[in-house]
Amino acid sequence: MPEVRKIADRIRMVSVRTDKFKTSQIIVSMAVPMNENAAANALLVYLLKRSCKSYPDFTLLNRRLDELYGASLGAGILKTGDAQVLNISIDYIDDRFALDGESISDCCAELIAEMLFKPNIKNKSFGSSALEEERRLLVRRVESELDDKGRYAYEHLISNMCEKEPFGRSRYGTVEEIKAVRMADVYDAWKNTLETAVIQITAVGSGDPEKIASVFEKGFSGIERNPAEIETVFAKRGGRFKRIEESFPVNQGKLVIGFRAGTESVEDNRFAVTVMNDIFGGGTYSKLFTNVREKMSLAYYCSSSFIPSKGIIVIESGIDSSKEKTVTAEVVNQLNEIRDGKNVDSLLGDSKLSLRERFTFASPEKITAWYSSQVLLENILDPDEMINGIEAVTAEQVIEAAKKLSIDTIFMLSSEGGEADE
Amino acid sequence: MRTKEIKNEKLGEKVVSAVHPSGLRIFVMPKEGYDSVYALFSTKYGSIDTAFKNENGEFETIPEGTAHFLEHKLFESEDLNAFERFAETGASANAYTSFEETAYLFKSSGDVEKSLEILIDFVQNPYFTAETVEKEQGIIGQEIRMYQDLPDWKIMFNLLKALYTDHPVRIDIAGTQESIAKIDADLLYKLYNRFYNTSNMILTVVGGIDPEKVFEIVNKTLKNKKSEPISRQFIKENPVPEKAYVEEALSVSKKQFMLGFKEDIQEPELSLKEELASDILLDALFGVSSDFFRKLMDEKLIEMDFDASLFNGFGYSCVMFSGSTDEPEKVSQMVKDEIERVKKEGVDPEAFNRSKRKLYGSFVGDYNSISSMARRISHLSFGGNKPFDELKICSEITLKDVQKRLEVIKNEYSALSVIKPVE
Repeated sequence: MPEVRKIADRIRMVSVRTDKFKTSQIIVSMAVPMNENAAANALLVYLLKRSCKSYPDFTLLNRRLDELYGASLGAGILKTGDAQVLNISIDYIDDRFALDGESISDCCAELIAEMLFKPNIKNKSFGSSALEEERRLLVRRVESELDDKGRYAYEHLISNMCEKEPFGRSRYGTVEEIKAVRMADVYDAWKNTLETAVIQITAVGSGDPEKIASVFEKGFSGIERNPAEIETVFAKRGGRFKRIEESFPVNQGKLVIGFRAGTESVEDNRFAVTVMNDIFGGGTYSKLFTNVREKMSLAYYCSSSFIPSKGIIVIESGIDSSKEKTVTAEVVNQLNEIRDGKNVDSLLGDSKLSLRERFTFASPEKITAWYSSQVLLENILDPDEMINGIEAVTAEQVIEAAKKLSIDTIFMLSSEGGEADE
Repeated sequence: MRTKEIKNEKLGEKVVSAVHPSGLRIFVMPKEGYDSVYALFSTKYGSIDTAFKNENGEFETIPEGTAHFLEHKLFESEDLNAFERFAETGASANAYTSFEETAYLFKSSGDVEKSLEILIDFVQNPYFTAETVEKEQGIIGQEIRMYQDLPDWKIMFNLLKALYTDHPVRIDIAGTQESIAKIDADLLYKLYNRFYNTSNMILTVVGGIDPEKVFEIVNKTLKNKKSEPISRQFIKENPVPEKAYVEEALSVSKKQFMLGFKEDIQEPELSLKEELASDILLDALFGVSSDFFRKLMDEKLIEMDFDASLFNGFGYSCVMFSGSTDEPEKVSQMVKDEIERVKKEGVDPEAFNRSKRKLYGSFVGDYNSISSMARRISHLSFGGNKPFDELKICSEITLKDVQKRLEVIKNEYSALSVIKPVE
C-alpha cells in the first residue's frame, strides 16, 4: 500500500518507498476541467518544462540534467474523464550510483518544484520567443497525429463520439485554439492551475517521501487554494448510431468502433467490465484475437480497450477497407457470443491469470503511471485490490457487463481507391 | 552444467551463466524483490540472413521475410498452440524478429517454471502445414501493410536501400506480399533445422527466480542434440551509396528527412567500445543540450523529434540523422558542416563529459527493467561481450575514442531520404 499525505486542499502526495529500483520518479499531475482553455494549459506545461528561474534557458536546463546523470524531465497532457490532466515529471538515478558522491535526489526534487513554482517569468511573461517556439512545436504535435493513422483514427472516433462532451476535445486544444493563445492566457493558466487544479504528487523510489513532501508544502504554502469541481459525463447508452468515413492514400484501412460500457462512474462495475473487455479483445486468448486474426486471417491486430474514467470501450483493427462489413459483423458476433455465455467460463480463468500478470508492475514507471492516473479518485486503488477485485468476478457478471455494452460510433479510415493488390 | 557467476558490486547485481552440452548459452540475472520473470529465447537468425548453405554445400537464397514468417509460425502446434499453452500459466508471451535475431519471450509472475518449460518446448517443436502457412500469409500481409503506412519505417528502409547496394539490411524485415507468397512448409522446416540449432541460440532469464531452478528446467526440457555452429559471411561493400537521394510521397503532415552516413567498415562488426563512443559523440554534438540543436531549433528547422544515432550490425554500420523539417537539404548541409567543423576544432571536452555521464545514468536505469536487461545480456553475448561490459567500457571511453569515431563519418558516403506529403 502506498503512503498518502495531504499537502493542501485537494493536493495529496502518494508515495511508494522502495530500494528495489535503481531510479526514482516524481510526477505531478494537475487535473483541471477540459474546456476552451485546453490550448493555454497545454502550452503552459511545455513552457514550465522548458526552463525555470535557476536555469532560465532550454539549453542550460538540459545541460544541468545531463550533469545529473541524464535525469529526465517529462511533460505530458492526458484526458482523464472530462478532465485535462497536466503532468510534469522527473526521473533520476539513486544517489548510491553517483560517481562523486553528490545528492542527485535532493537536486531533482528541488528542480521539479522549481519548474512549477518558480518558472522563468518576468512581468507576467514567459518570454515571447519561448512562447512562439512552444506554440510552433505544439501545433506540430497536433498536426502530426495524421502521420500515425491508427492514432489518427482513434482520436477521430473519440472526437466524433463525444462531440457534445468535454472528452471529445483534443487534449492539446485545436490548431486554431493554440494559435489564438496570448501570453496573458498562459500566465493566467499558470495561476489558475496552482490555485484550482486537483493535484497529486506521486513519488516512487528510495528517497524519503517526507523530504519530497516538504518541498511541495513549502511551494503551495503561499497559494490560496480554490479547487475546481470536476464532473465527468457518463453516457449510459450510445446515442443515434453514427458511422464516419475518411479516406487517405494508404495501404491499410483502420476500423475503430466505440461502445458505451453502460457504467456511471470510474468505480461502477469496474472489475467485471475490465474482465469482459479482456475476454472480448484483450490478450491472445481473447475472442477478437482468436477469431478475427487467427481463424479468419482478416487482421494483424484486432483489440479492445476499456477507458474506465469515461465508460467507453474502443475496438481497433487494421484491415482491408473492403472487409469493413465482415470485420464489424464478426466483432458484433463475438460480443453476442459473450452475451450468450459462449466460452466465457473457459476464458474467465485465462483472463484473470493474464490480468493478474499485467497488474504486477515490474518498473517504477508502471507504478507511478498506475497511481498518478488516479488523481481524481477519492480512494486510491492499489494493484493488489485491483487483482483481488478481478479475481472475484463471475461468468454471470461478465455476461451482464457485455449486455450493457451499446455501440455508439464507427470511424473507418479507408484507403483511397481500394487496396492495391487485392 | 558448470555455472559461472559475474558480479557487479556497485549495482548489487549478478549474472549466473552456463553452457549446455548442446551448445546453448544460458544467462540468469536473479532480481531480489521482483515478482515477475522475463525470459528470452533467441536465435541468431534475422532478416539479414538471406541465404543458407544446403546439404550439398551450396548457397541457397531464402525469400525475403522468411525469418519473420517462421517466427509467427513457430507458435503453431499439432495440439494446443503456444499462446493457448501460455494462457494456462497467465504469462504474456510474444516474439520479434530483427535484422540479426529472432526471439521468443514471456513475462510471468505466476507459474514461472511452467512458463519456462513451455517456452523452451515450443521453440524446439516446429509444426508447419500448408493450411497454417496460407492462413499466416493473410495476417502477415496486413502486418506488412501496416508498416508500409508508417512514415518512420518507410523513410528508414528507403534510406537503407539508398545506402546499401547488396547488403540484405536493405530489405524489409517482414518481406513483401510477393516474397512471402513463395514460402511453404517445406522451406520453413529446412530453415528451422538450419538456424534453430542450439549452438546458435541464447536463453536469458531475468527477475524473481533462482538460477538453479532455471538450469534444472533447461536440463529437463532441452533436447541434447549436438549441433554445428554456423557463421555469417562477411562481404565487404563499396562504401559509396547506391543513391545519394531518394524521396517518396506519403500521407503525412510535413516533410521528414533521414540522412545516413555509411561507414567503410573493415571488420564485420564494431566493437562495443566503438558503438558506445559513437553514442557519446552523437549526443555531445547533436543531442538536446548541444549548441547545434539549439541553433536549428531557433531557426525553426527542426522539432523535438530530431535525432542522431548509430545503426549497426553484422556487415553494416551507419550514422542516421532524422526529424521533421520543411527544409531537408538545408538541415542535411548543416549536419555535414557541423561534422566538418568539429573534425577541425575537436569535440568540446565539457560536452563529452556530460554525454558520457548521461550514458552511464541511462545504463544504470536500464537495470530496473527485466525486459531491457534480458535483451541487453543476450545482445552483449551475441556480440561476444559479457554482462555488465557496457558499464565498464562506458567508463573507459576517452575524448580520443570519440574523436576517432567522428573521423569515420564522411560526406562522400552519405545519402538523404525524404518523405513528403502527398499533393
